[in-house]
Amino acid sequence: MLWSMTDDIAVRAEDLTKFYGTRRGIEGLDLEVRTGEVMGFLGPNGAGKTTTIRLLLDFLRPTRGHATVLGMDPRRDKATLHAQIGYLPGELAFPGREKAADLLKFFADSRGGVAWQTVTGLAERLELDLSRPIHTLSKGNKQKVGLVQAFMHSPALLILDEPTSGLDPLMQQEFLALVREARAAGQTVFMSSHVLAEVQQTADRVAIVRDGHLAAVERVESLGRRAVRTVEIHFDGPVDAAEFAALPGVSDVTASGPVLRCTVDGRLDPLIKAAARHDVVDLLSAEPDLEETFLSFYYHSEGAGDVAAGA
Amino acid sequence: MSPLVRKTWRDDRRAIIGWALGIAAFTTIYTSFYASFAGAAQLKDDALPEGMKNFLSVQDMTSPAGYLQATVYSLVGPLLVVMAALVLTVRTIPRPEEDGGIELLMVNPLSRRAFAAQRLLATFIGVTALAAIPGVLVLAIAPGVGIDVPAGNIASASVGLVGLAWCYLGITFAVGAATGRRGLALAVGGGLAVTGYILRGISGIIDGGDWLKWLSPFHYFIGTDPLHTGWHPAHLLALVAVGVVGAAAGIVMFDRRDVGV
Repeated sequence: MLWSMTDDIAVRAEDLTKFYGTRRGIEGLDLEVRTGEVMGFLGPNGAGKTTTIRLLLDFLRPTRGHATVLGMDPRRDKATLHAQIGYLPGELAFPGREKAADLLKFFADSRGGVAWQTVTGLAERLELDLSRPIHTLSKGNKQKVGLVQAFMHSPALLILDEPTSGLDPLMQQEFLALVREARAAGQTVFMSSHVLAEVQQTADRVAIVRDGHLAAVERVESLGRRAVRTVEIHFDGPVDAAEFAALPGVSDVTASGPVLRCTVDGRLDPLIKAAARHDVVDLLSAEPDLEETFLSFYYHSEGAGDVAAGA
Repeated sequence: MSPLVRKTWRDDRRAIIGWALGIAAFTTIYTSFYASFAGAAQLKDDALPEGMKNFLSVQDMTSPAGYLQATVYSLVGPLLVVMAALVLTVRTIPRPEEDGGIELLMVNPLSRRAFAAQRLLATFIGVTALAAIPGVLVLAIAPGVGIDVPAGNIASASVGLVGLAWCYLGITFAVGAATGRRGLALAVGGGLAVTGYILRGISGIIDGGDWLKWLSPFHYFIGTDPLHTGWHPAHLLALVAVGVVGAAAGIVMFDRRDVGV
């Protein structure tokens, strides 16, 4: 294929920047999405996710920097490129008032004839009734139409903006299965979200954006390892909080009688060694939750607390 | 035709059918009415002051050509056709851009220019068909109701009406494609249509204002009195030229801007 000759990077953004007048969309984004991986693109609303996606699709033109998608230039090669991209808009609006089937036929035709079986197969999996007019569908069903058109032509790259919005939990699982199958078939998936669970279950890596800047790119597992976890230790007698407060990585220490509560960032070792000086009755460590990890990026950076709280 | 052109027609179908019925009904009623109107024509002709007749580009309502000019080709006919052209043209880019549907249209594997050109092509064909309705109906009805205007003259006036529609289609498309704003495109297209109509009207009634008519698209359409004098290719080409320049400018400007901001 054309793109595989260039390199194993499906999406490369270099200093990608977009200002709307003086308002910042995204600034100085350097990002690589590897061919065949699922990358989650996380951040609160207004962080610049949709702006970035629209830049990759050539709906917007960068103020500075540039993007390479499947080895091609989004503007110059738009026609070739879009045949290999499946895009799900974050704000779905459908042109026209026709039946879902007729709209999907248009997408199938415009992509050079997608087998109708593929379309009906996807619709069945998502339990979507194709005979109803688009404008009479519920939000969740509209989202399914959007997903069917994005996946129908087995594109090399799937760009999905908030893909599970409006889907019930069962359909979210079906969607995650679609993403896993896409990865198994060698397709690349770049999906934005402000819900961590869906990314946690499928993504290989996550890129986190905040206030128009890239905050971090991490493997999902390492994000879990460096997670802030809550630890609760029950001793057989009262303990002094001050004894634990100075330990590396330990914070928010409270002691009420024999129960010590704190949060630990990183390794548990220092806390365990300190606790071992007393008789430990019980120890509870909450499963590191990506949601908390995610939020820690906001709470632990200056001036970003409001953004996180508002998201 | 490409999937996008067919899709555009499907989405515009109701609007096109509605305008077609309105334009056809108007043309049929006025043209057929000539038989019963002929007797009363002198009365109406006398009742209208000369200045008003000049403004409405009505020379004489008593002759068949004058009657056709005063009814189908003067005010209401061009008004309906130009309005239909404006309304359909803002559906090419500004309307889907404002309601968000343009993103799923633009995922078509087409370049920006090809996308704009195909949207325009679909609308161009629809508008041309609508603008041709009066001519076709007048040609069909006229002989039967005693309107003995040569078919070639009717054809030349009717082609002028199509040219007028193209002219305003081009202007409206250019504004809509360049800005993505439906209200602005309608305001500019509609404003220039009204201005053009008024300019042609007042050029005939104010002293020394004759040159104003050259600024009005309506002059190139009907100012040559095609129902009496037949074909004036240079005038018609001027209308086509405005349409072509507008179309080309719109496609180029759409290729250079952000969409859906």
